[in-house]
Amino acid sequence: MIVLCLLTAFVIPLLGKIKPQIIGPLVRFVVLINSLLTFITLWYVNKNGMYYYHLGGWEPPWGIELSVDYLSIFMLMVINLISLLVLIYAQKDLAHEIEKELEPWYYTLFILLIGAMSGLSLSNDFFNIFVFTEITTITACGIIAVKSNKVCVEASLKYLLLSTLGSGLVLLAIALVYMVTGHFNLNFIAAELPNAVSNFPLNIVVSLALLIVGFGVKSALFPLHVWLPDAHSSAPTPSSAILSGVVVKVYAIVLLRIIYNVYGIEIFTMIPIAEIILALSTLAIFAGSLFAIAQEDIKRMLAFSSVAQIGYIFLGIALVNHFAVAGGILHIVNHALMKSLLFLTAGAIIYKTGIRKISDLEGIGLKMPITMILFSIGALSMVGLPGFSGFISKYYLVLGAIDAQKPFYALVIIISSLLNAVYYLPIVIKAFFGQNYGTFTKDDIPRAMLVPMIILGLGTVVFGIIPGNLFSLVQKAAEILLAAN
Amino acid sequence: MIDLINALGKNYYYFAAIVLFLIGFHTMLTHSNLIKKVIGMNIMETAIFLFFVAIGYINDRSAPIVDGTPKTFINPLPSALILTGLVVGVSLTAFSLSLIMKLYKYYGTLDADEIMRIRSQEE
Repeated sequence: MIVLCLLTAFVIPLLGKIKPQIIGPLVRFVVLINSLLTFITLWYVNKNGMYYYHLGGWEPPWGIELSVDYLSIFMLMVINLISLLVLIYAQKDLAHEIEKELEPWYYTLFILLIGAMSGLSLSNDFFNIFVFTEITTITACGIIAVKSNKVCVEASLKYLLLSTLGSGLVLLAIALVYMVTGHFNLNFIAAELPNAVSNFPLNIVVSLALLIVGFGVKSALFPLHVWLPDAHSSAPTPSSAILSGVVVKVYAIVLLRIIYNVYGIEIFTMIPIAEIILALSTLAIFAGSLFAIAQEDIKRMLAFSSVAQIGYIFLGIALVNHFAVAGGILHIVNHALMKSLLFLTAGAIIYKTGIRKISDLEGIGLKMPITMILFSIGALSMVGLPGFSGFISKYYLVLGAIDAQKPFYALVIIISSLLNAVYYLPIVIKAFFGQNYGTFTKDDIPRAMLVPMIILGLGTVVFGIIPGNLFSLVQKAAEILLAAN
Repeated sequence: MIDLINALGKNYYYFAAIVLFLIGFHTMLTHSNLIKKVIGMNIMETAIFLFFVAIGYINDRSAPIVDGTPKTFINPLPSALILTGLVVGVSLTAFSLSLIMKLYKYYGTLDADEIMRIRSQEE
């Protein structure tokens, strides 16, 4: 059932080349089926507990193993649902962003990206993690460069070089782990490591450090984020939404799984690496917000805001307790909803009016009321107002910080929320109460673009008011991660 | 000191891999010429592949091809992973070279600093 998810994703490109006009609907249909399959898997896991799927019936350590637990299902849901909405949006928006004959290729890259990300969140051995990481990298670069103007190509090249560096480091880390354990499978490594750590502590510490730097580059942890703003702001709007909303998060999930399931908390806290990550994520939160305040281009501002939000997720990972990990994972879905919503609304504004500069947005709320109301929902959720989903995850991160007896980080979160307000609220206020008001008109953006935005906006509000179901899922995932030790 | 030299002599492939890695890393980060950056990237990748293959191989063992005669085998997984890695490396190189080609068409130069200068002038 999981294999079907992946296989369909990889078969599409072949099929799509024959009939270009059916590719769009076909891709959307496959992603829809994938989402349904994910829900079936969720139901199955809820009933029978987590399980391992052995590809081709080969037992590990020989065969390939996929782990189906709450964490991976959670990530699959985020990936599939967000990409479904983004794809619906893309059918109108793409036409004015890229050339007509490139569209089939765009869909091909997109579906490969979805397949690779699903594989990344499911795979349970280093072999697959490496392979899917590379596929994700190349396709992500592809959907940035597809617009083929100066800025995009340069951003894509920067991203490509840096993430090659990242995957090189990851491969080196895998080599070091293989050296002392002789396995690629995560479970086997986890079983071997306690013996190995007394004999070869250096190997293990170095490999952990390399993994964190490698995946840190790819998920744009603060000092390694230099590629992100260019790449995410210059890409076509659907790409920006999916890159900022989902792709950088997948690496964080993989890192989370490796740190907690493989290395375990003991090795993780053996050297002060958690403190280093905490310091970096604090820096990320502040620097991202400060850079965002200085930006004039709306998409660039949103991209810098992503740097700050990645900081929250890593903060959750490094605080090492139940509330914080749950908060971090919850922030992944919340940020995916909010940031996709914000990018899509920004894209709609650019689609309709061509305005990219924030200072030109005055009075746009009266021209495009629905779009701007949705933008406001996303912005308020970013700030963390109660009643929106951003509040819930920040609340749990604060709880986690207090629980870990590090109230400093609770303060960090609260101050950064104020910083978020500094750059989001002026846009909202200007848009609705600016001097340059025109007549109050209905915004006539295509329905295919409007519907996904409305669904994302509703999702933000609904998860903000009743987070129950989602939160129980996240809590189970966090419990399993922490219980592994 | 002699111990160190002995250890290096015994594990000369690790040493070679590390030297290659540092050369590649240095080239990639310090040179502003984009082609040189890609060359550095390739050297770095090759170093990692060499390292991986070296740890995957054990003296006096053969590849896991069963032909009836009894012998001990090495684990084929590292070699398989490196095979994948090679393919990925080639495609990454091809992709980055094509991007560089496009950049050259737009800016007329291969120098990253020069491109930055042109961009800041345009803005």
